[in-house]
Amino acid sequence: MATSQAVLAQALPAASPVASSSGIAQRKPASANLAGLPGTAFKGSVAGLRWDSNGSVQVSKSSLDVGVFKEGRTSSRRAVVRASADSGSESKNILMMGGTRFIGLFLARELVKAGHQVTLFTRGKAPITQQLPGESDEEYAEYSSKVKHLQGDRQDFDGLKEKLKGTNFNIVYDINGREGKEVEPILEALPGLEQYIFCSSAGVYLKSDQLPHFEVDAVDPKSRHKGKLDTETLLQSKGVAWTSIRPVYIYGPLNYNPVEEWFFQRLKEGRPIPVPNSGMQITQLGHVKDLARAFVLVLANEKAYGQIYNISGAKYVTFDGIAKACALAGGFPEPQIVHYNPKDFDFGKKKAFPLRDQHFFTSVEKAEKELGFTPEFGLVEGLKDSYSLDFGRGTFRKAADFSTDDMILEKLGIKTTVAA
Amino acid sequence: MALAQSVASLTLGSTAQLQGPSSATPGSVRPSLSLRSNAAAFSSQSHFAGSFGLSWSAQSNGVSTSKSNRGAALVVRAAAGESKKVLIVNTNSGGHAVIGFWTAKDLVDAGHSVTILTVGEELSDKMKKQPFSRFNVISFFLMFYSQFLELREIGVETVWGEPSDLGAAVGSASFDVVLDNNGKTLDVVQPVADWAKANGAKQFLFISSAGIYKSTFEQPHVEGDAVKEDAGHKQVENYLAELGLESWASFRPQYMTGDGNNKDCEEWFFDRIARGRPVPIPSPGIQVTNISHVRDLSSMLTLAVGKPEAANGSIFNCVSDRGTTFDGLVKMCAKAAGKEAKIVHYDPKAIGVDAKKAFPFRNMHFYAEPRAAKTKLGWESKTNLAEDLKARWEDYVKIGRDKKDIKFELDDKILEVVSEPVTAA
Repeated sequence: MATSQAVLAQALPAASPVASSSGIAQRKPASANLAGLPGTAFKGSVAGLRWDSNGSVQVSKSSLDVGVFKEGRTSSRRAVVRASADSGSESKNILMMGGTRFIGLFLARELVKAGHQVTLFTRGKAPITQQLPGESDEEYAEYSSKVKHLQGDRQDFDGLKEKLKGTNFNIVYDINGREGKEVEPILEALPGLEQYIFCSSAGVYLKSDQLPHFEVDAVDPKSRHKGKLDTETLLQSKGVAWTSIRPVYIYGPLNYNPVEEWFFQRLKEGRPIPVPNSGMQITQLGHVKDLARAFVLVLANEKAYGQIYNISGAKYVTFDGIAKACALAGGFPEPQIVHYNPKDFDFGKKKAFPLRDQHFFTSVEKAEKELGFTPEFGLVEGLKDSYSLDFGRGTFRKAADFSTDDMILEKLGIKTTVAA
Repeated sequence: MALAQSVASLTLGSTAQLQGPSSATPGSVRPSLSLRSNAAAFSSQSHFAGSFGLSWSAQSNGVSTSKSNRGAALVVRAAAGESKKVLIVNTNSGGHAVIGFWTAKDLVDAGHSVTILTVGEELSDKMKKQPFSRFNVISFFLMFYSQFLELREIGVETVWGEPSDLGAAVGSASFDVVLDNNGKTLDVVQPVADWAKANGAKQFLFISSAGIYKSTFEQPHVEGDAVKEDAGHKQVENYLAELGLESWASFRPQYMTGDGNNKDCEEWFFDRIARGRPVPIPSPGIQVTNISHVRDLSSMLTLAVGKPEAANGSIFNCVSDRGTTFDGLVKMCAKAAGKEAKIVHYDPKAIGVDAKKAFPFRNMHFYAEPRAAKTKLGWESKTNLAEDLKARWEDYVKIGRDKKDIKFELDDKILEVVSEPVTAA
């Protein structure tokens, strides 16, 4: 085998230049030139190689690094040969910033199931793993035995860098990043990084009279999500391969943002649902499981390098429509929807409605076309999934607060008791 | 009349005495320039260099002028040997007629040969019958006749006839593709479809309507969504699906803009903006609709002709890929006109006006997206409404509609009741 090893070493191009101090590896699609190796007649990038007993090389699904690691090769050499179409079969060493609250719960499971090594970076305030509603004991045991944890505070940039130095993470999923400067310590500590995948937000789009929002549309440098935009810009400016996902409103079991929960709380109490203005505002909900699938689709996907994708449901919905869809999902009667003019009220610091009072929806066709993304949950089915696994079981994140509702109903002269 | 006469002499070969319809009610005869020069990717700028006579002669220089100016980028040329003979059965009125004209030209650009059959009688006869007002001579001429002349310049065969007897109009000619841009009900389209099949047409395309979609609380209208089963257009679609044609497809458009459109769209907004009048918009003003430049529609149809297998058995929302709100449309029209606009929201029911008469669009979300065209045909929208409206405004002013005397009875009724107008942001 030693001879084959040497031959292989000659065939593989040297590892890409690594800039150790400034920290960013130049990513170049590398290909293994195997011309001249016994038994090889192919060229181009290679998914994996397998030595057979007489030393000839054959293509197989097992990734190159398996053979290489067995021979004791360094990971930097392995990092050079990147799988192309077979990227899914090559196991990645993934660092996930966050992963214990909502999106990451589902995403980390998908990645572990796909055979990747996943390490969650969190402060450890929330349990590292929790059994998900609907998840069997076996599945949970499998997941919790495989997923790893790295404790730390990502706001402590120096500490973060120290903890990441020398690790072999080749993929970062940044699920909870908010500001551009949070990315730099990670990039500096992981010069061999193959891809930085960032959870951004469709909130960066500049409000427009022409809709839906496409990825090429103008963004709003003054938006509340400025930090997300800065992060995308920063990633763009570095040499790392990056991908940004812009979700709209995410929903699903264990949602900590009171989107569907807000409606379910009122439906459960048989209360009228106060919706600002006409209720014709159009928005878009995307199920967290579909979002997780989208995040997996971009993993080691060269098409996604340097790209931004809107990810949400296939269709849009009006505010009034969400109330109706939630009622259908939870088996509640048709809701009484009450419209009011927010300008007539002073709610103080409280939010009288969970969604921004404007049209807000995006086209997901870029992801559909380039990644093969297909939102699997329709709105009512997705809300049923959320209801049956979360609110419908009696679990919720935020206790119901009807104080703003009562202000509205009083002013409009509407009673809260609704006939069943 | 000098202008009209010089036009007449170019086209009819003599200084004919033109008689046309009596002074039209606002909006019924909608003048437009149908000059095709320079249809670049994001602008429908109609170049009207100097007098009408000058640009007309530029047009009549022949096929190459109009082809090169149309922007080959918009249209994919048919591969050699794939040139098809297309018959367009075109309505003679209503907002859809413009689709026929633009599609005829796109098809020619793509290398196909086209016959356009307009339902009814030939225009020159029509023109002789009806008295013209001074304004309408020019507008009527520009709108109708010049379009036909332009089509003939590029080799389109123009005939007139009845959908119930196509044979009489086209004789023994046979066609590979028949496009019905005329009928709304089965009784009118069935003879066309039957004739097409009997005469060996391999592909049948039908211009239907996005108006048949049922409203739900979800948006937008997507191909495959529930439609009103008893709608005439739907019954036509059902018939076509069962007819056993080699390839058939149905295209559902919404509201259109673009020269040659004889149904008011943006003009309704320009009428008010040009005169500094408030623009009454049914509350809340955030209703979303789809105003598409007709060249997005014609490019989609042309693509379907080139890809009959991909298009077969499919419904296509025949629209551009952006929606806009009513208020947003006012703002875009105002910006295109370089003027301020004042929006006034009103509740039609509360005031007692018929919203259908007071406003040109359905008072609700009416918004479809062209998803099937993108995934099945690889179609892309090449229009930008905000940009296109600038050219539409220029045309609007050039034909003098901003100076036309228009009555705003319903507007006045609304404004009487509603108090302070709200300035557009």
